Amino acid sequence: MSTFDIEFAAVTDIGKIREKNEDSVLISSELGLGVVADGMGGHSAGEIASNIAVHVLEETIRKVNNGALKMPDNFLPKLDKIERKLLMAANLANAAIYTTAQASVVYKMMGTTLTGVTFDGDNAVAVHVGDSRIYLYRDKKLVQVTTDHSLAMEHVRRGLLTKAEADKSKIQNVLTRAMGIKKNVEFDLLKFPVKIGDVMVLCSDGLYKGLTEKQMQELLEKGQNTPLVKLCKQLVRVSNDNDGQDNISTVMIKILPAKPLTLTQKIKRFFGKS
Amino acid sequence: MSDKNPKESLIGTDISGCEILQKVAEGGMGAVYKARHKALNRIVCVKILSPALANDKKAVELFLSEARAVAELDHPNIVNVYNVGKERGYYFIVMSFIEGQTLSIMLKRRKVLPINLVLDLFDGILKGLNVAHEKGIIHRDIKPSNILINNEMHPKIVDFGIAKKVDKDKGTTKTTELAGTAYFIAPEQALGRDLDTRADLYSIGASMYYVLTGQFPYNGKNTIDIIQKHINDPVPDPAKIRKDLPPWLAQAIQKLMSKDPAKRFQTAKETYLFFQKMRAEDQLRLKSGATGSVIDLETDSSLKIVKESPVVTTESIKKKRHEALLKNANTASNNSKPVLLPGLNESPVVAPKPKEPVRTHTPPPPIPADYHTNKFNADNQDVSPLVVAQTHKSHFKWTNLMDFAWIPVLMALSLASSYVFFLFGKICSVHVSPNLGFIANLVAPLTASQSAPYQLPIAGVCLIMLAAIFASSSIRAFSRSTMGLLVIAFISYMAGLFTPQVPYWDIKGIGDFIFSPEYSLCYFVVAGMWALSLCWRATLTKAEMFLGSALVILTVVLAYTATGLSIAPYTAGAVTKWLAFLGLLFALGAIYYLVTQKGVHSSIMAPTLCLFAAVACVWTYNVSGLANTMNTTLKVLASKINAGEMSRPSTQKDDEVGYVSVFQSEAFAHFNTFKRINLLSPEEKYKYLDKQITVFTKDSIPESYRPLMIEMLSAYYLSGPSRMTLLAWDYALGYPIQNFNQNAQNNNAYYFLLTLLYWFGILGCAANIVFREDE
Repeated sequence: MSTFDIEFAAVTDIGKIREKNEDSVLISSELGLGVVADGMGGHSAGEIASNIAVHVLEETIRKVNNGALKMPDNFLPKLDKIERKLLMAANLANAAIYTTAQASVVYKMMGTTLTGVTFDGDNAVAVHVGDSRIYLYRDKKLVQVTTDHSLAMEHVRRGLLTKAEADKSKIQNVLTRAMGIKKNVEFDLLKFPVKIGDVMVLCSDGLYKGLTEKQMQELLEKGQNTPLVKLCKQLVRVSNDNDGQDNISTVMIKILPAKPLTLTQKIKRFFGKS
Repeated sequence: MSDKNPKESLIGTDISGCEILQKVAEGGMGAVYKARHKALNRIVCVKILSPALANDKKAVELFLSEARAVAELDHPNIVNVYNVGKERGYYFIVMSFIEGQTLSIMLKRRKVLPINLVLDLFDGILKGLNVAHEKGIIHRDIKPSNILINNEMHPKIVDFGIAKKVDKDKGTTKTTELAGTAYFIAPEQALGRDLDTRADLYSIGASMYYVLTGQFPYNGKNTIDIIQKHINDPVPDPAKIRKDLPPWLAQAIQKLMSKDPAKRFQTAKETYLFFQKMRAEDQLRLKSGATGSVIDLETDSSLKIVKESPVVTTESIKKKRHEALLKNANTASNNSKPVLLPGLNESPVVAPKPKEPVRTHTPPPPIPADYHTNKFNADNQDVSPLVVAQTHKSHFKWTNLMDFAWIPVLMALSLASSYVFFLFGKICSVHVSPNLGFIANLVAPLTASQSAPYQLPIAGVCLIMLAAIFASSSIRAFSRSTMGLLVIAFISYMAGLFTPQVPYWDIKGIGDFIFSPEYSLCYFVVAGMWALSLCWRATLTKAEMFLGSALVILTVVLAYTATGLSIAPYTAGAVTKWLAFLGLLFALGAIYYLVTQKGVHSSIMAPTLCLFAAVACVWTYNVSGLANTMNTTLKVLASKINAGEMSRPSTQKDDEVGYVSVFQSEAFAHFNTFKRINLLSPEEKYKYLDKQITVFTKDSIPESYRPLMIEMLSAYYLSGPSRMTLLAWDYALGYPIQNFNQNAQNNNAYYFLLTLLYWFGILGCAANIVFREDE
């Protein structure tokens, strides 16, 4: 049971030149879940892939929570329950996309990125694959939490390119890992403690291509007291004005101090399962 | 159009006056069909964009851009485009159909390609590429699978599909695929930098490296790893892998693969002119009979090796020179006369300039020495590329002679394993029963309820020995000897198991038995092993094919003579009647597969399995008479015993045998026969059955066969008639070996066989060292 309240907001925009929005976003305060997926593949396949990704992820977590789906005991037994839940959901989503893609010529080679966050106690747990990102804004500083699975960033990691070169590189769009391409995909699983006042920004590459980290940090600093949804829209709008070549999506999550419990909640908690 | 299924609907239909015949390939963008152009009546190739993508503007544009890119180019080394457009909702490109194979498939059939063949092919490829480059078209995905070789060994570059892709997309579409192929990608392409035509030259270099050495220039655990090695790792030296590579070629490939485009050959033309020049020079040197020691201190500044190739050092050059001298001193059939380099102390290595420039503009004819017997040029065009690839195979290599030091090790290893397994067999021989079949006896030590003294520790030593044998296969000189070592171990085990009285490796007087029938079983084993080793090989030279075929026939004939029994085969049975023919058919099948080598994967399994089947058929055919006789005798005997039991008064005691009959009735008499007999103790049962046999056969069965008959009959009473039949067949199938074992006590056949295998193995190992394929 978390000791704080979590506020979610999400915005997705088609951008200036694209004919379709291939991004999908999902937030659920009930599950404590925020997801961004950025689809790829010709025709309408990208939309479908990202849609399957977020929905299978949500559906699986919901089913595991209410007991409709049981996690197999031998599935990564060393991890926490929440980590296993998230990973299993992500794996199922990958399998769903992969089978759909294999079934039809139209959907062949479709895929998607996936970046999702959920919460357990004082920790945020994130699952990540592809070039969508999670930024954490804390103490007026913005940090990128995830690593991009793109060829350009792989080169940066090896010191073959600088970060600045990578941002302009033509191979920025070449992903090294994505959902739906292979039967099994390796997900990054991150777990980090959160504090009251933290803001997390999950975004597709459309957002950060039109918005430098510095600009984003300034916007977040200025918008400390603006409602989260408004701030969210503002980020997308600025990015779209600057670039707009791609679909732009973002999910923002703000950690707020917990409201005092009502009496009925206290009674429920007392008798409820911990 | 997206509801149309391209898989079935198109075959037999007409697109742009072409009748679609069959699908050749399918990719992400669409499919490629073989088709007949009706008006011209010629076979063409029709590429059709997947209908699912027909509404996708970007995909259509990309598809058509390929056609336009190629249509601009009219060159014999680039696939021709005849027509392009849209008909009945299908976007199509009509191109020339090339009957042949891709360079990568050609390479799959053998490990590496002959140097002169590669140079001939790349001469054409570079000329075609040069034309494309002059029009400003960069291919971006040059690799062996994008080079088609037709039956006249004429190369054509295909798949300009991504030729302009990256520029037009400007990196906006997300993808998991990099334009280009990881194994052959230029560093600047892998880094996403701006490209020019020199990126294709890098891929040419990488492709040449691959077809000449059989190995990718860089390998890694995943694509990213490989790509990053292209960017970062030093350029590998192909001459390290392929020793007979002329130094100028190795250096040219390294130059093509320079990380910095400015350090490569700058154009395709420069590259092929250089190749032509150097080949002409080699040619001249060969013709004039020079020893290869042309040293010219004048340097050709165009051929500089960049610093990132530390492999070309003064040391390596010295070594090369030494090797070259060795070659020249020792062999006249030396096929690559290395250009000796001037002694240099600094790292830029330079190739000698030709003493006389010769015919730089016409490609020189291939150097005959490198081609051996193959003539695929103008004078004999019907020789398939496969044969070309195979005839250039075994090289006599003195550099391999160092490996001869391993031969004493092999001798010791085979002797040691043989002795250990002999000991094991000898210890296990207590479990052997003369009344069991061959297979049953072989496994008896493993299934026995009690182990003999020392059986377990020696079994452990045997396992260690086996591990050593398998480990030894990693030694290059022994790589072909593992099978032989295993067979020696197995035969030694059998020798210990079946002739424990004969001292180890007793070869006294084997000369007296050379032509005895038992020894033909020995010849059968050796011939079979040799035939098997030839069947079990991916590529064979013509001589090996002939040898293999002869050995297959010899093996089957020897199997026939070695298993010939005095009882004639039971030809009345429907199955056995055909077995001999079937055996012959399988033998022919093995030969057929050996000679034709159909398919990449089936070529090893098919002849091997056919050989096994042929031997099995012949063997079974020969022993069928014995098995049948035994079965009939036993069945008659059993029914007589049963009938006798039934006619016996139910309360009668059999005093002679001394068993007490329990309650019996006529109705259950048959059942009771079984029950009563099974209730007896083994000795009583033996006595009882012995008596019955005497009664019913009136001593027509020799005394020595009694225990066997009794054993089988008791199996009949214990587990039923099918068990008895099985035992009889096991006995009959193993009879030739049983017979062999019997006589081996006197004629030392086992040690004759071991000796044969031993020397055969040693000679094989030596031959392998001398005639090993170049790697």
